[in-house]
Amino acid sequence: MSDEAIDPTLEGRLSRLEEILARMESDDVELEEALKLFEEGVSHVRAAEKVLSETELKVEELLASGETRDIAVDGE
Amino acid sequence: MSDDTFDLFGDDEVGGTDAGWDDTDEVEDLDPEPESVDRAPKVWSVYQVNKAVKGLLDSSVEPLWVGGEIGSWTRSRPGHCYFTLKDDRAQIGGVMFAGDSAKLPADPDVGTKVRVYGDLTIYEQRGQFQVIAQKLEAEGADGLWSKAFEALKQKLELEGLLRIERKRPLPAYPGCIGVVTSPTGAALHDITSVLRRRAPWTRVVLSGSRVQGEGASADVAAALRRLAATGLADVIIVGRGGGSLEDLWAFNEEPVARAIAECPVPVISAVGHEVDVTISDLVADVRAPTPSAAAETVVPDGPALLGHLRRSPERLGRALRRTAARPGVEVAERMGRLHRAIERRLVPARQSLDLGADRLERGTNDLIRVRTTTLQGLAGRLEALSPLSTLARGYSVARTTDGRVLRTVEDFSPGTPFQLRVSGGTIDAEALSTHNNDDAPA
Repeated sequence: MSDEAIDPTLEGRLSRLEEILARMESDDVELEEALKLFEEGVSHVRAAEKVLSETELKVEELLASGETRDIAVDGE
Repeated sequence: MSDDTFDLFGDDEVGGTDAGWDDTDEVEDLDPEPESVDRAPKVWSVYQVNKAVKGLLDSSVEPLWVGGEIGSWTRSRPGHCYFTLKDDRAQIGGVMFAGDSAKLPADPDVGTKVRVYGDLTIYEQRGQFQVIAQKLEAEGADGLWSKAFEALKQKLELEGLLRIERKRPLPAYPGCIGVVTSPTGAALHDITSVLRRRAPWTRVVLSGSRVQGEGASADVAAALRRLAATGLADVIIVGRGGGSLEDLWAFNEEPVARAIAECPVPVISAVGHEVDVTISDLVADVRAPTPSAAAETVVPDGPALLGHLRRSPERLGRALRRTAARPGVEVAERMGRLHRAIERRLVPARQSLDLGADRLERGTNDLIRVRTTTLQGLAGRLEALSPLSTLARGYSVARTTDGRVLRTVEDFSPGTPFQLRVSGGTIDAEALSTHNNDDAPA
């Protein structure tokens, strides 16, 4: 339940948000916990929206060395 | 050497190979002048005859297609294939050398109706008339291709690699999408176009590979393994655009199938057009009809996801208010905590709003406009959670004159002076008497 354990990827945040919503909408949640979850939930919403605001698709090519290099693929 | 005729029984040179023979003359000599009665008949060595006929065939018959039924078929260790081709009246021997037989998707069965393309010739050592096949095609839809497909499918099925229980779900919100395809093909362009529209926040890593021609299957398999080994991708699309059955064949071969089956992250196979089903489609966790469709499948729809996010603060707030309003939760506690919580959230939310406004000015795209609206909605909903609105609903907070919150009935005794915070101001008050919920008046 602790904040630090949360996977900071979009996937991690969105699935944690689902968990929080489910927990907060259950009947046995204590106010103390609900307040913490509310804060955490809102922080995930904000962080996720920040990720989604990225508008430049990043395309890289895997090199033989195992490193990657940005490449341009023609847009439409 | 000096004479074109031999003494059948006396000359050691009989059976000697090249004696006096010259390739161009040989053919003419096949139709020798009538023998004069006083000369012994002209006798050819076996080799000479075979070689002469071979020369005749080689020089005068163009390569051709021969149709028939496979009477026998043997593949040698180096890959040369020896076969007979027959119909109801005749048969002919044939050979297909390793370089050509390697291109066959599968060996034909005995009885398969085929056509072979090649040269007619004589195998000199045995005097055997045969066809040197360069191509072999089986009759029927897709012929040997379909045979090879079914054979590999059955093999993988027996190993359990096609079982439905092996299929892994795709990640709902992948951050990094791997793509194994040709760096110059249409598939890469199609995939990135869709991702740019639907989920521009994702990272795409291409592991380039040849996708057709000899060795393409091993090439695709190696590119997939290399990409999987980096651990970068959350999900991998393997595929190529449409083409002939032969063009798509790499995706029907075992190396690709094995690499997909071993891939540690889910794989979407997207080969050719809708109708083409390949072995890689069967082994992959998900089959997409086209590369574009694979890209659609692999990421969520950006606007839909924003809609989901937009609804989340409202749901969180509603749940919190319900919990806070539950009987038994102390009024004063929820007031203080709610207030602090909401203030803490409102400040950054407003900052985000400013940020959103800046972006709007840059006028980048619709996505951002949607996002700003979302944040405005979020701020509005947070305001609704303010303690003042709780007070307005009729709740109040009792404090001692020095500001300590009075939480329970035990905090009061008759005569205690206190201050009541209500919507719009405070009231000085004094406790007359106290009552526990279950007790008679004290």
